[in-house]
Amino acid sequence: GNKGVPSDTFSMTDLNRAIGIYAPSVQELLLIDDLLYAMVGIEGKYISFQKGKSKENTWNFQIDPSMDLSLQESAKRLLPLCECYSIVSQFTESRSHFEYGLVNHALAAAFRAILQDYHALVAQLEHQFRLGRLALQGLWFYCQPMMGAMQALTNVVLKASEGSLSGAAILNLLENQAAAIAGDSAARSLLQKLSQFASAPYLGILERWVYEGVIDDPYGEFFIDENKALQKESLSQDLNATYWQQRYSLKHELPGFLSNAAETILTTGKYLNAMRECGHNAKISFSDDMKGLGSGTRHYLERINVAYNFASAELLDLITQKFDLMGRLRSVKHYFLVDQGDLLVHFMDIAKDELAKRPSTISVEKLQSLLDLALRTSIAASDPYNEDLLCNVEKVSLLKQLENLQKMGFGGFAKTQKSEDANSLELSSGQTTSGIITGLETFTLDYKVQWPLTLVISRKALMKYQLIFRLLFHCKHVERQLCGTWQVHQATRGLRFIGTSMPRSYVLCQRMLHFTQTFVHYLTFEVIEPNWHVMHGKLQAVKSIDEVIYQHDYFLDKCLKECVLLWPQIFKKVEKLKAICLQYATATQWLIPSMSAPDLNSSDSAGVKSSNSGTSNRFTRNRYNDDQARTAFNSSDEATFRTTISKIGEEFDKELNKLLLLLTTESQTDPYLAHLAHGLYGVGKDI
Amino acid sequence: EESEISEGALVRDVLYACQGIDGRYVKFEKELDGFIVDEAFRVPRATRMLVRKLCEVGWLFRKVQQHIDESIKQGHMEEIGTVGQAFCASLQEELSDYYRLIAVLEAQVHNPIPLMSVGNKVENYLSLRRLLVWLAEPLVRMRLLAVLVDDCKGLKGGAMAGAIHMHAQHGAPIVRSIMARLLVRVCSPLFEMVRRWVLEGELDDIYEEFFVVGHPVKAEALWREGYRLQSGMLPSFIPESLAQRILRTGKSINFLRVCCDDHGWAEAARDAVAAASNSGNRGGLGYGETEALEVMVVEAARKIDGHVLKIMYDQYRLRDHCLAIKRYLLLGQGDFIQYLMDLVGPDLSQPANTVSSFKLAGLLESAIRASNAQYDEGEILDRLRVKMMPYNDGDRGWDVFSLEYILRDPLNTIFTEAVMANYLKVFNFLWRLKRVEHALSATWQTMKPNCSLARLFTSSGSAEKSQVAAILRRCQTLRNEMNHFVTNLQYYIMFEVLEYSWAKFLEEMEDAQDLDDLIAAHERYLTSIIEKSLLGERSKLLCKTLCSLFDLILRFRALADRLYENARAVQARSDSSLRKKLERELFLSNTSRKAASMDFTVEFLKGMGDEMDGVAAEYSSLFEGFIAQLPVQQHVDLKFLSFRLDFSEFYIRQHMNMSTAPL
Repeated sequence: GNKGVPSDTFSMTDLNRAIGIYAPSVQELLLIDDLLYAMVGIEGKYISFQKGKSKENTWNFQIDPSMDLSLQESAKRLLPLCECYSIVSQFTESRSHFEYGLVNHALAAAFRAILQDYHALVAQLEHQFRLGRLALQGLWFYCQPMMGAMQALTNVVLKASEGSLSGAAILNLLENQAAAIAGDSAARSLLQKLSQFASAPYLGILERWVYEGVIDDPYGEFFIDENKALQKESLSQDLNATYWQQRYSLKHELPGFLSNAAETILTTGKYLNAMRECGHNAKISFSDDMKGLGSGTRHYLERINVAYNFASAELLDLITQKFDLMGRLRSVKHYFLVDQGDLLVHFMDIAKDELAKRPSTISVEKLQSLLDLALRTSIAASDPYNEDLLCNVEKVSLLKQLENLQKMGFGGFAKTQKSEDANSLELSSGQTTSGIITGLETFTLDYKVQWPLTLVISRKALMKYQLIFRLLFHCKHVERQLCGTWQVHQATRGLRFIGTSMPRSYVLCQRMLHFTQTFVHYLTFEVIEPNWHVMHGKLQAVKSIDEVIYQHDYFLDKCLKECVLLWPQIFKKVEKLKAICLQYATATQWLIPSMSAPDLNSSDSAGVKSSNSGTSNRFTRNRYNDDQARTAFNSSDEATFRTTISKIGEEFDKELNKLLLLLTTESQTDPYLAHLAHGLYGVGKDI
Repeated sequence: EESEISEGALVRDVLYACQGIDGRYVKFEKELDGFIVDEAFRVPRATRMLVRKLCEVGWLFRKVQQHIDESIKQGHMEEIGTVGQAFCASLQEELSDYYRLIAVLEAQVHNPIPLMSVGNKVENYLSLRRLLVWLAEPLVRMRLLAVLVDDCKGLKGGAMAGAIHMHAQHGAPIVRSIMARLLVRVCSPLFEMVRRWVLEGELDDIYEEFFVVGHPVKAEALWREGYRLQSGMLPSFIPESLAQRILRTGKSINFLRVCCDDHGWAEAARDAVAAASNSGNRGGLGYGETEALEVMVVEAARKIDGHVLKIMYDQYRLRDHCLAIKRYLLLGQGDFIQYLMDLVGPDLSQPANTVSSFKLAGLLESAIRASNAQYDEGEILDRLRVKMMPYNDGDRGWDVFSLEYILRDPLNTIFTEAVMANYLKVFNFLWRLKRVEHALSATWQTMKPNCSLARLFTSSGSAEKSQVAAILRRCQTLRNEMNHFVTNLQYYIMFEVLEYSWAKFLEEMEDAQDLDDLIAAHERYLTSIIEKSLLGERSKLLCKTLCSLFDLILRFRALADRLYENARAVQARSDSSLRKKLERELFLSNTSRKAASMDFTVEFLKGMGDEMDGVAAEYSSLFEGFIAQLPVQQHVDLKFLSFRLDFSEFYIRQHMNMSTAPL
């Protein structure tokens, strides 16, 4: 009869009275009504609550103490549910705000759906209550399924708001929680459902990245970070070529279910993005049912692979076909690895004077115009890319540059040298004593590379090419100087040289030539060509641009190493030998004409008919008798010449022996050095 | 007061409140800014709170409703623009959904609960808690709408669409679907504008909502200033680059229509639509279909820009005119310039105010007739005119004479007045250079019979002879030095600067995709000429030095002319006197004649020698300054100039000698 009493009348008297004055059966009805309010977060007459002061997400509940004790206890059993509701609903409201990011929005929407169910439950309970069919015990029973769910949600909420998580962290949290309560299948499936909801927008971002190469991530939740400061143009300046590696990078927080595929995802988008930067819009054509990533099942890994294969094939095709990667590499090889010698010879001929100056006084423009001239008149004129070749003059010598690179710990330069500090000191002191450096030591080429080829031929790669080029260039220079000496020798052939030091000089010249030519032969035919061939073969079979970059870098590193540029000890010896050769060439070209000069005068004064030009002299010389020829070498010059030659010769032998020794010992670990050693044995005298 | 209020009454009141209407118990309270149960009624605290919670939706509804009312008010409709109207309409639509729900609930208020067991008191079906369930979803919607209303206040057009777009970036599916629906409607007027603009060139924007704005300007400025992007009205879902392209496409159509009087674009636009719809999109534009928009715009732009370029090249013969300007204004047609210089030279030496431009026009005509320029087409030659610039006192004809090339619509879009002024500047410089070169050549002609002059003085005493020889030699070397400079400078400008820039310009013209590219290419061409020929801002000082060098050379010319004139007079006199001497050898004393001529020559020579020294000193100091300033310039090509001028490093060495061993 009195069951309906509290529901439809609110008497003034009720408000002030403690509950204790009613009979327990009435108390129960009043309590249920209040509990139904508390369950949707509203304070009732007898149950009041406020936010806990100590912690953010706790609530303190008070029940009218005058209530029947057993009723109080059974009410208290329901209070955690009310608390959970308050926490979850508060979280839901706050996380719908824009700043929390898409994943939080989606999660909040999922929460809202659950809360809607909960509200419906409360309304149904109320209905039962109005019908007079609900007792406190019944309420407890009906709330059972909801309690577990709300508890699970509360755990998530507490963890999420504690770290104010967003994005991938939320997804991981849901995964972990689901895994943690794997035993409780109901809660687990609930959490899995939640994580599916929450990941939907995340997968949307992923989809755009994997299919279009676009990061559409307004709240910075995606696990790929775009470094906008790094421009693709930096590839042609930055020595470390960081663009490709660091333009897009993985963040620390990855969603667990994607962590295996993260690298693939990153590269896929990167490829697509690179194509977009080239103005080439490639789209993967999927049938519509295939395209959706967020279908819940884990098919997406497969689909990511499909996208990856497409993107890498497309980009590779773009770079090799449209931008003619192989043609470019071949062109670079022509110039930097000197596989078409006429250009270099011609250039060295016309730029001889300019290159002999100090680096600071050299006019690069003049060199450039000379280089252009050489380009147009040599076989390189047929190269379609010859306009991109530039020249440059470095400030320091090759040795010094290697040393600097080594100090910077650049690339492969650091690892091969550990205990070289003493050497490098000695090296730099040797540098200062060797005197002024000329353009011949510092001349280098440069090459204009356009995006996207800068991916492969980056500044770093170009620098390696430059190192090799400088070595070859200088070797060529030495060889030319020695050839000059040989020419000077030819002019003395008609003279009587038996008994002079000329034969020694001839021999020494030959040995030096042999040395330089062997060395150049080693560099070009035993190092560069085979390695190039290997790389060329491998590049035919690559699948992605990353492989191309790897193969190309590998080729360059191998060349650098085998060209002894990474062996400071050996390289220093080689430099020393070259220096000796140059010294010899200068000495002979200086001394021999001065020795034979008086001879010309004497022959003129002797009244023999001969012109002043050296060439005709050579032919007419044979007719002179021995006495005249003997006077060709005046004794004081002859003496200095003799001492110089023998000194240089000894030094050459010494250094060569050292080098051979070094090569022999090192070749045990690095067999390719044995080739060089073998070639050089012929030059050595007595090993 | 009544103490007991039935829940049914409260539910009814809440439903009223949800439509923004005060009920009997639940009223809008201004201070609290919300609907609450009137304090006068005694209602349990819990119920009060629940009612308040439920009425939030009513509060939000009021806000939305208010916005709609305000916007729809007569007279206001125009202000909010079409996008605002579309926004209001879609808000209305969302609200009508809401009304339906409220109506259903209202009907249920009176429905009794379908009871299993009859006998209990009749209850109303809807309780407050039940309402909580029903109103949960409308609350989310209404909140979103209220936020939008707040954010869109005071905005219109593209800005409003952009603001709404910002709210579409939400993770919750319900929000997304609402926003998507809303945005499609809100943006449709905007996309219609884009379509009209891109395909028809019509700026269909009475409320200034579009991100392209037009300004009424004259035809020649239409391309450059006629239309602009208004970044404030550019919604963020249209990227800047695309907006630029949209702007240009419509502009191209208008350009064709107004300036070129051409109607071929309509066909091009139709092709574009066909191509766009062929490529998979049905040509329908709308929010979220940025790609379709892009495809259409790109297609249309390609077609229409191609059409513009074709018209420019074929109908208006842009290439021919550029070439003509290069030939006549930049002195590319050498024989013509030579003739012209010869013909107008005497006239231009007169004071500026006595020079008749009619006469000059006649001379120009005869220069054309006499040179290869006569084979050029009449249409082009007609455009070449003599132009006299305003003159000051003391100006000579040289200072005010120039040529001009008249260009009309639509080519003056490229060749604006500023551009023509630049051409004029270059022409004046080149003309001056040419004149100096011409003057030096003329001097050479007068100097040429040097031998006979030198022979004249052989009869004189050795001291005099050496003096004369010295001064003549001086004159020769100085002229040679100047000639070296002028020739090299001219070579540099004619070949390194003009030809190189021209070749590059031709290349870029070939690559140009649209009129903007073309204009930019031409601008680059002209700028590179101005910069490299030392006329730019950065090289003002250098240019000034150059001008004084020119002046000096002209002064030298006058000096040399005077010297040779006098020398020749002396020669003539001595010739005649020689004859006289032969005739009356007996009568005249040889010494007296000799003394007379000697006197004159010595004095004259001394004056001449001093003046010559002055000119030489000034020249070398100026020239040195010029050489020294050259490397400071940015252009690589200028380095080439200095390299050429000082090929044998003569000046550097001289400079070093001067600086290392000062006197």
